[in-house]
Amino acid sequence: MSDLPTLVGAEWLKVRTTRLLHGTLPTAVAISAAGVAGAVVSADDPGTLASAREVRDVLAWTGSGALVVLVAGIVLAAGEQRHGTAVDTFLTTPRRGRVVAAKLAVGAALGLLVGLVTAVGAAAVAGAAYAARDATLPLDDGEVWASLAGTLAYTTLFAVLGVGLGSLVRNQVVAVTAALAWVAVVEHIFIGLAPDLGRWMPFEAGQAIVRTPLDHLLSPLAGTAVLTLYAAAFALAGRRATAARDV
Amino acid sequence: MIEIRELTKAYGGHTAVDRLSFTAPPGKVTGFLGPNGAGKTTTFRCLLGLARPRSGTALIDGRAYRDLAAPRRTVGAVLESSGFHPSRTGRDHLRIVARAAGFDAGGIPAALELVGLAGAADRRVGGWSLGMRQRLGIAAATLGDPAVLVLDEPGNGLDPEGVRWVRQLLRGWADDGRTVLVSSHQLAEIAQVVDRVVIIRDGDLVAETGIADLAASRVTVRVDRTEPLLGELGAAGVAHELLADGTIAVAGRDPAEVGALAARAGVTVTELGRTATGEALEALFLDLTGGDGR
Repeated sequence: MSDLPTLVGAEWLKVRTTRLLHGTLPTAVAISAAGVAGAVVSADDPGTLASAREVRDVLAWTGSGALVVLVAGIVLAAGEQRHGTAVDTFLTTPRRGRVVAAKLAVGAALGLLVGLVTAVGAAAVAGAAYAARDATLPLDDGEVWASLAGTLAYTTLFAVLGVGLGSLVRNQVVAVTAALAWVAVVEHIFIGLAPDLGRWMPFEAGQAIVRTPLDHLLSPLAGTAVLTLYAAAFALAGRRATAARDV
Repeated sequence: MIEIRELTKAYGGHTAVDRLSFTAPPGKVTGFLGPNGAGKTTTFRCLLGLARPRSGTALIDGRAYRDLAAPRRTVGAVLESSGFHPSRTGRDHLRIVARAAGFDAGGIPAALELVGLAGAADRRVGGWSLGMRQRLGIAAATLGDPAVLVLDEPGNGLDPEGVRWVRQLLRGWADDGRTVLVSSHQLAEIAQVVDRVVIIRDGDLVAETGIADLAASRVTVRVDRTEPLLGELGAAGVAHELLADGTIAVAGRDPAEVGALAARAGVTVTELGRTATGEALEALFLDLTGGDGR
């Protein structure tokens, strides 16, 4: 049976031979660039744009691409069930856990790639938007680089989480709907009613990683640790479920 | 060689396959027959490591599918439940199979040629007909030049010419010494090509026999007037059936006995034999599998 690098190569070929990347990358870049530009434009006082708090407020939007790669990760895994390609995949590799491991690796790579492109793209947009308001993005400030590095971690971990969730739930529509409803509704309810609990949830942890200046959030480091645990838990659960149940 | 031993698979309270045993030897086409819902696909899924049986074993050359060192080099399978990504081209589908299995991609053009898809291979599968998808599935199954082939209802979606083409493929593989196991819910579709038949019904084995022996288990007779003979058969308590082609199929009697009954009925026998074909074979199959052709 083929080794893991071979399977990772095959999974990457699957991504390249569909429109997943073509859809994911521009969408993620567009959303994060729009968020960043909007934050700069809507800032009350251009004079404060270079402050650490404003820089964090603006560049946190760079992480918006994470929601797009979350969906891409789900599609990467659950899409095989949707289109019936899972049968061929598991006939080739009957040790199904290895397929999930390869998908997790490809998901991480996809998340990292999207994070990199959105970070560069959003930073460029931020620079231009700052200039338009007669301000300068303080590139010598560590805040900028910490936010952009946070974006890479956020998108990578959310993509892995998506692959895990898609492997666990298998029904692509259900998984995508549940994930987006969780982020858009459930976590908001928790943040509103019980912020001490809400801050430990995945999307809030992601917000912490990209240094969103909100008081209820965890520290960036703690957020990274928490989101890593979520991603690992879903990855393991997805892998176990895929190996155990009938196709 | 495929060996199914005491295989049992249940879904919830429903036993889909119940202590099923049969073999498919190399060099032969084994037809795996039964009405829809009899457990054919479930058996294949257990055989191919896609479903875990409750008990029993399903072995290929002595090993469970998941223990095969190179599954795609050993077994080529075409299942009804397998599909293709609509925005992927046929060639890319095969490239992915080849990459994951560790095959050289150089075999892909020949596989496409074999199934007559060389011209369509670079178009997205989303626009393909069911028959073209069946052919692509067969191409994927043959990429690894496997010695065992397993096909689930390969005739579905194919036109009569396509069905004939599949029969020729099956025959060719078996003549090469490969093990061929092919399922169908219609005996007539594959009767011409199978050497052996395994018939199941409600997850149980009904018959495992050579196709010639199966055909010989009924006497078919054609007479100038059917009514008197039907009356005579009824009076003698002999199981029989009037077929749509006008012949009468008789169970449990040899041709001489049927001839004697015809003589007593005062009718003229125009055909009498042991080799059931066409209608008679299908009627026999329906008898064995519960009669209503579900």
